[in-house]
Amino acid sequence: MTNFLQLLLLGLLEGGLYAMVAAAVVLVYKSTHVVSLAHGQLMAYGALAFWFALSVLKLPFILALVVALIFLAITGWFIERLAMRPLIGQPLFAAFLTTFAVFLMGDGIFQLILKGESNSFAKYLPGGMTSVIGVPLPTTQLVSFGVCLALFSGLAIFFRRTKFGLGMRATAEDHQLAQSTGITVRAIFSSIWILSAMVATIAGIALANVMDIYFPLPYVGIKGLIVALVGGLESLPGALLAGLILGILENISAGYLDPIVGGGVKEVAAYVLLLFILLVKPYGLLGLVRIERI
Amino acid sequence: MWRPCGVFDATYEKDMAIVRTSRHWIALIVSLVIFFFIPLYGSYYIVSFINTLAITIIAVLGLQIVSGYCGQISFGQAAFMALGGYTSAVLTQKFGLSFWVAMPLAGIFTGLYGLIGGAPSMRIKGFYLAIATIAIHFVTLWLLLHLEITGKSVGLTVDSPQIGSFVFDTDERMFYIIMPIMILMTYAARNLVRTRVGRAFVAVRDNDLAAQVMGINLYYYKLLAFFVSCFYAGIAGSLYAHLTMVCHPEQFTLLHALWYIGMLIVGGLGSIPGVFFGVVFIRVMDEIVLIASPYLADWFPWLGMAPAAGLGLTAFGVVLAVFLIKEPRGLAHRWEILKASSRLYPFAY
Repeated sequence: MTNFLQLLLLGLLEGGLYAMVAAAVVLVYKSTHVVSLAHGQLMAYGALAFWFALSVLKLPFILALVVALIFLAITGWFIERLAMRPLIGQPLFAAFLTTFAVFLMGDGIFQLILKGESNSFAKYLPGGMTSVIGVPLPTTQLVSFGVCLALFSGLAIFFRRTKFGLGMRATAEDHQLAQSTGITVRAIFSSIWILSAMVATIAGIALANVMDIYFPLPYVGIKGLIVALVGGLESLPGALLAGLILGILENISAGYLDPIVGGGVKEVAAYVLLLFILLVKPYGLLGLVRIERI
Repeated sequence: MWRPCGVFDATYEKDMAIVRTSRHWIALIVSLVIFFFIPLYGSYYIVSFINTLAITIIAVLGLQIVSGYCGQISFGQAAFMALGGYTSAVLTQKFGLSFWVAMPLAGIFTGLYGLIGGAPSMRIKGFYLAIATIAIHFVTLWLLLHLEITGKSVGLTVDSPQIGSFVFDTDERMFYIIMPIMILMTYAARNLVRTRVGRAFVAVRDNDLAAQVMGINLYYYKLLAFFVSCFYAGIAGSLYAHLTMVCHPEQFTLLHALWYIGMLIVGGLGSIPGVFFGVVFIRVMDEIVLIASPYLADWFPWLGMAPAAGLGLTAFGVVLAVFLIKEPRGLAHRWEILKASSRLYPFAY
């Protein structure tokens, strides 16, 4: 039973990380209807920038975080201006494929920067274990989970209460209508990329606490995309829910099935879940069902 | 079929011909003859490069049918290739079948597996399907990595094909297997896309609901597209396994599938010649980066010792983004413009 509880709680904590990556993808989709593969890279670069500021420049924690956020905000803005803006009005699929091109480009540069090494943060969080209802859990992961919950509630407040967030929701509904009510759609597009890049940075830093910064880090972004799809692409609560489900599923299936099939269940659990959910509920758990017309 | 002004076809056969004029025939025969002699006079490097090029072309042709013509973007082509390679390897090594039987069987088996891989297309489309095919890629490779018959993480070693006592054990010899198959597959693809089936694919791509209203059975044609595409992938994988003489999951990563999609975009979606342009363009670019990277590493020490992989990916990403933004119809469209302008020269139109 403790074994099960431990797997469950560890899965929950890990799920929070996936949910954060998914949140960045959902943000972009919510206001521009572009599914972005590029956020896996933004996440990796966020972690890298933070690592650089913290471990190489030896900045204090808060300053390093600010540097990473600013750097990634600029990167997100650049991607929007150079790659996304020319494609407004083109089929959405072209934008998707362009984010995929950005992903490849970023992957190449990431490999060039890393030179095959792997970097891990200097310790800035308390290490060791904290006991939660009798189950010892790594403290860093608990902190990451706290950040995740704070991030999601912050985003929820942003979208429900602030004028800017409401503008983003309006833009998602209809670009022309939003423009005619005085919302600057182009500014919304730029700022959503900046915002989502910053969310991705936080996700990347939290993730890099658990796994080192090395070349497969961007590919966790694909998992974030899967979480976003399972949860429903428009839905932030869906992303959180799906992230937690995935984290728990991965850990429990790995814990119980690995001894039977000989390892590696954790790698495919996400994909099996995605295929299953897409067949049962094609628009995700909490996503909007689209009705199409010719 | 659009024809330039002044071209008249007197017979049905003439109208249907793929090779249309006597100049086309001459160009075709001359280039085939030159191709036939490449392994005899070309260097090993050139021959092995052309071999991998041809195998990639077969795989991307399949991708063109499912993604370019039927509109179902698939990131699973590398996994399907892996399955083809493994099927062929298992059939030849474990069951002692000849390569000539195993290769078509590998194609058919992969095609049938593609029906499973294409099953999500019944409920979803667009990027949902694209991500679902990524999922299929990982599940397939996981199975190959964990099943007993596929040799788990060690992979399989594969024997070279042979006829009687003649063994196709060098790249020069494999050339004579790969090339005819590639030409045959190209011919088949070129023909398929202008039949009733091909037109149905295009209708599904352009607007699936409208296609359904016109009486096209969506699921049948989507699954058929996946079957054909995976058949191509299976053949390509089988050839690749017998060329490299090993079968290992590392040869078929997600990155390979991403490259194939990129080649398709650069070449032009929905065009068979586009496949050739795309594959050759991207492969040559990659090769140039590979050759240039040691010099670049010398000149710019901050690039590190082995920048080839990173530089190649970066160049590929940049080219892809530029094509998507500036020329979404790909090199095939440029080729059509070139043909038209050369035909009309010296007039503008």
